[in-house]
Amino acid sequence: GDSRVGQRNSSDLVAYKGVNDLPPARDLIIHIDSKNEAILLPIQGAMVPFHVAMIKSVSSQQDNNRTCYIRIIFNVPGTPFNPHDANTLKYQNSIFVKEFSFRSKDPRHSSEVVQQIKNLRRQVALRESEKAERAT
Amino acid sequence: MTDGHLFNNILLGGRGGSNPGQLKVHSEGIMWKKQGGGKAIEVDKADITGVTWMKVPRTHQLGIRIKEGISYKFTGFRDPDVGSLTTFFQSSFGITPEEKQLSVSGHNWGEIDLNGNMLSFMVGPKQAFEISLADVAQTQLQGKNDVSLEFHVDDTLGASEKDSLVEISFHIPNSNTQFVGDENRP
Repeated sequence: GDSRVGQRNSSDLVAYKGVNDLPPARDLIIHIDSKNEAILLPIQGAMVPFHVAMIKSVSSQQDNNRTCYIRIIFNVPGTPFNPHDANTLKYQNSIFVKEFSFRSKDPRHSSEVVQQIKNLRRQVALRESEKAERAT
Repeated sequence: MTDGHLFNNILLGGRGGSNPGQLKVHSEGIMWKKQGGGKAIEVDKADITGVTWMKVPRTHQLGIRIKEGISYKFTGFRDPDVGSLTTFFQSSFGITPEEKQLSVSGHNWGEIDLNGNMLSFMVGPKQAFEISLADVAQTQLQGKNDVSLEFHVDDTLGASEKDSLVEISFHIPNSNTQFVGDENRP
């Protein structure tokens, strides 16, 4: 009973098709795979992929001890100003991952991560909106 | 103990990164020893409540769940190891390993599965990630629909772990019925 048939949304986007498409986990650090538009997050000893289109925002913060905190926030239902994401309507009965916070000892790495995610997110959003425009 | 199987270069995964070591699976249980000494894990077969296999990039991961709800993850098995160990678990432990699949779609919506001390986030029938609740320092309800889990901060973590997870939060919409009446506390 989905009345929004025809509307493209990010559930069409998948990071990887199969397990073997994932890059091998080298170190357990946040890794950006631009080619597959994915970020890989170290969660309890495993690298977990998320498609960048699911991400709403990313930021980092540094405390006095040069420890950085990287915060990644995902799209969830009820997020205002978010016309591109119909997932949150379509999957209302699901539970959503809303946020991950990581602590990092390396300020350079943290700012790189944030910058790379932002860039990738921008690219994907631009491409998706162009696609949506062409489709109409 | 001449029976059983011996595997070198098996990683024990956990929140502190992963450590290579040697895993011995024998008729009485399993034993893992960290390479170069130090940490060792021994599990008696009577304490094992479940065994899982999961295909992960380039290799296989063995999950061993024990009585107290704790589970261990060992990574680094080749294709033929899966078959031979599966047979061994069946004949020696009387346990048939379950096969789990890893979600690689990169989606952030799904379901939460609670089993003992493990919280699994499932995207469709596949598992995206697992969290050991033993590592959670506190849970908080934020607003009406968000639950956050804060992890213990361990300052003794090795250099192998550069980025460590300190917090995760889940959004549970009103329309979700899984945790109704359970004070939304996974």
